[in-house]
Amino acid sequence: MNDRTENLLLALPGILLLGLAFFLPIAQMLLLSISGPEGFTLAHFVRFLSDPYYLNILWRTVRLSVLITVICALIGFPLAYIMTKVGPKLRLGLVVIVILPLMTSVVVRTFGWMVLLSRSGIVPELLRDTGLVGRTFALMQTEAAIVIGMVQVLLPFMTLSILGVLTRIDGKLEEAARTMGCSFLQTIRTVVLPLALPGIVAGSLLCFTLSASSFVTPNLLGGTRIQVLAASIYKSVTATPDWPFAAAQAVILFVGILLVLVPYIKLTGAKHG
Amino acid sequence: MVRAVPGWLHIVGIIFVALTALILLAPLIVVIGVSVSESQFIAFPPNGLSLRWYQEVLSSNAYLNAAWISIQIALLVTLMATAIGGAAAIAIHRRQLPFSDTLATVFLSPLVLPTIIYAIGMLMFWSSVFGPVTPLTLALSHTAIALPYVVRTTLAVLAESDPYLEEAARTMGANRLQRLWFVVVPQCFPGLAAGAFFAFNISFDEAVLSLFLRGPTLTTLPVQIYSQLEFSPDPSVAAVSTIMIALTIVLIFVIDRMLGLTRFASA
Repeated sequence: MNDRTENLLLALPGILLLGLAFFLPIAQMLLLSISGPEGFTLAHFVRFLSDPYYLNILWRTVRLSVLITVICALIGFPLAYIMTKVGPKLRLGLVVIVILPLMTSVVVRTFGWMVLLSRSGIVPELLRDTGLVGRTFALMQTEAAIVIGMVQVLLPFMTLSILGVLTRIDGKLEEAARTMGCSFLQTIRTVVLPLALPGIVAGSLLCFTLSASSFVTPNLLGGTRIQVLAASIYKSVTATPDWPFAAAQAVILFVGILLVLVPYIKLTGAKHG
Repeated sequence: MVRAVPGWLHIVGIIFVALTALILLAPLIVVIGVSVSESQFIAFPPNGLSLRWYQEVLSSNAYLNAAWISIQIALLVTLMATAIGGAAAIAIHRRQLPFSDTLATVFLSPLVLPTIIYAIGMLMFWSSVFGPVTPLTLALSHTAIALPYVVRTTLAVLAESDPYLEEAARTMGANRLQRLWFVVVPQCFPGLAAGAFFAFNISFDEAVLSLFLRGPTLTTLPVQIYSQLEFSPDPSVAAVSTIMIALTIVLIFVIDRMLGLTRFASA
């Protein structure tokens, strides 16, 4: 036995598993999306793209995903930055606060939001008491509920992506900027932010992909009337069941995500050689 | 020396961190609160204090069955993902295969593909080729999405290992299997351990694959909770959820003890 055989044997179980239980299923799904009773057809795609109902779902998915990603970035960057500046004890505490929700099942966290946002929940009560909203104000079954729940679900991903990049920035760069006369905010804008950009972009892509493809939180917080693409896919698989149409919707989701990912990979690939 | 941060900004920072921490933890705190409530209805802050909903859960067959299935699948996934992923990471690290780079991409690809897309493919492929889904189907699919984590943690540990140790063992007369088992695997241990904890956590908490691949007798704990939330939530859901949160806290504590959480979070 030589080195190559040994390494091949080591990698083989994984290659077999992923081939049989990952790549083949995806290939099968792609095939199913273009197959009809009489062989090849694009009817499932035409059906989706010509129905205002489904186009509305697609538009809502894109709109909410962008909004959720932007909010996550706006909260995630300062949070990650502060995490690099505090002492080791406090930092560990903050890491736990970020990781604990991340590692808790998404159904459990969504349940928590269902309680908080329900008609008699704390958040709407608080808003009604302060007089910011009217007596009939409700949050559950609205897009706002989906955004609130999803931001909490995805914020840890964004924070950790940015934190990974920030910890590798040389602290002397900031000091240099300050001694040269930059104010604190100028230093953030001209030194820290540009250097943290790869982390912010990577975190944003992750957030966008995950929020565009999630249905557990949107289904439970938005209800059945406010559907997103992933919820519609789940419905086509379980309620209707119309598998080829579900497959076509999954392909549309996949292509949509690739349209966002590929330019980024091209851009960063060109930058780093 | 310049002053680090203006005073007003310091205060804004403290308020910001406190608010963010509150948002991140709020749903968990609420779930724990509801679970100890006396009331029939889901209410927060809780009315009274009782453990009756925990009693309810521990005497409910639906929850106990779901928990048992979840534990079995999660243990199987941990075993498979750690063994398969660890072996693959060793092969990728040595870079002796002509397609090492492609191989690394292949093993990390389940991380990039949204789970819902994979879940549909798995359901359609499996039921058209092998018939109805079984617990093994679900375990295999969980293993596929857990593999990247094991591969990544193991590769990270191997990157800091000493390549000459294996060389030394070879000159001392150790054969291939001995070198692998007594020299390479022990070096991988922290990475394998971290990967194993991740694999368990992913499988135990995973809802999407479990929802698509569920069957009348194949209902994991997250799926059971999801169905309850869709139809008739009562505080017993909160009790189960609290148990799951407690398990997560234990896992995080163990990972911190074994690897150091801060190091792992900024990796």
